[in-house]
Amino acid sequence: MPSILKKGAALFLGLGLMAGLTTMVAQAADALQAIKSKGTVKIGMLVDFPPYGLMNEQNKPDGYDADVAKALAKEMGVKLQLVPVTGPNRIPYLLSGQVDLLVASLGITPARAKKVDFSESYAAITIGVYGKDNVKISKPEELAGKTIAVARASTQDTAVTKVAPKSTNIRRFDSDAAALQALISGQVPLLGCSNVCYVTIQKLAPGKYNKKFELSSQVQGIAVKPGEKDLLAWVNQFIDKAKSDGELDKINQKWLGEPMPAILKKSSQ
Amino acid sequence: MIRPFGWNEFELILFAVRWTIVLAVMAFVGGGIGGLIVALLRTSDSRVLRVATIVFIRVFQGTPLLMQLFLAYFGMTILGFSVNPLVAAMVALTAHASAYLGEIWRGCIEAVPSGQSEAATALGLRYFNRMRCVVLPQAARIAVPPTVGFLVQLLKETSLASIIGFVELTRQAQIIDSVTFRPFLVFSIVAAIYFAMCWPLSLAARRLERKFAQATVR
Repeated sequence: MPSILKKGAALFLGLGLMAGLTTMVAQAADALQAIKSKGTVKIGMLVDFPPYGLMNEQNKPDGYDADVAKALAKEMGVKLQLVPVTGPNRIPYLLSGQVDLLVASLGITPARAKKVDFSESYAAITIGVYGKDNVKISKPEELAGKTIAVARASTQDTAVTKVAPKSTNIRRFDSDAAALQALISGQVPLLGCSNVCYVTIQKLAPGKYNKKFELSSQVQGIAVKPGEKDLLAWVNQFIDKAKSDGELDKINQKWLGEPMPAILKKSSQ
Repeated sequence: MIRPFGWNEFELILFAVRWTIVLAVMAFVGGGIGGLIVALLRTSDSRVLRVATIVFIRVFQGTPLLMQLFLAYFGMTILGFSVNPLVAAMVALTAHASAYLGEIWRGCIEAVPSGQSEAATALGLRYFNRMRCVVLPQAARIAVPPTVGFLVQLLKETSLASIIGFVELTRQAQIIDSVTFRPFLVFSIVAAIYFAMCWPLSLAARRLERKFAQATVR
């Protein structure tokens, strides 16, 4: 294609995008009011990221995110329409206005914060050390001389390797599943894994293992289109309320089998 | 959050096939009509029409279907047109299939000896009848194998529509896999379902080829 045509096409596309964006910004001021007058809030969520987002036996969106979205719609006094999105397309869904909000396990990162506006954190994926009930240990120093399983080259491997004393025997397995198997079959007393992985442990061997201490965490926020300040303020208010009245704690217990992680309480101040 | 893979999960995957079929039928019909138009314009006598069609073909053959779907859905919305996913998928799949089928069929039309067209003109047939009665029937015979080959590929490509929210066969399988952790089972089932759709297409093509061959045996 001749370059003049390409330039023309690019210019046309650019102008179009700009026109589109300007109208979006113009509408942004009363996004909250717009949702309320429509009577329905459209919320995008993942459906392939259990236990945060999944499809249940009735093939309906369910999970931690779905429960948060339900509570949000109830608080707003509007009907809820859950829109299944995927990891790669969730931000385009929001920016192009196909959904009003994302409750899609979107980890708050500086790069993403340039594209969307994040609320306070409403969920967290934490990495910690888990182990048998009878193993008394509560801080990294006490790992000395103990054996711990991790998935090779995972975030938990990096974290455990960083804090563990020299005498710790770190056994690296090929996957979380294999490391988990080693814990449950009794080959190792301790395991470094995420809280999501812990849900599986609880399923397989209820009540026999507990959390020893936390290594690191990634918090997730509800995302709104950039500039929708009133909507964002309302969402933050909702999250504060859900944190203080125990709603979020209940959702954590239901899906992750643990109370709300401390890091979520911290960020609400 | 593991749940066993049972009959319910199998049914969910099986029923997701309806979207694959809807998307494929849309692409076949839209692409068939669009492809014929593109092929005819591409072989027309007007230079302007030919160049315009070449640009169309280059653009849609030169960009991935995934991007076309993405732009048709999200791009249109950003430009201020609210499109529903079905319309966006129809537009993108039709344009994509038209570009490919148009180019395949152009080759088939050009493969018909030019003497045929000249003889038809000599008999006083105008463009429409010349194409309908002389050129296209002969081109169609050559077109069967490459067309079916492309349609089979297109049927499998409908899985890309999951980017704009269609939960078709492949996407449903990913969702089920994420809660059952049985990837080999899930994706084997999906492969078998795709095969069950594509194989009859190939069989039908073989029969059609044989029929054409018998009809023109000397």
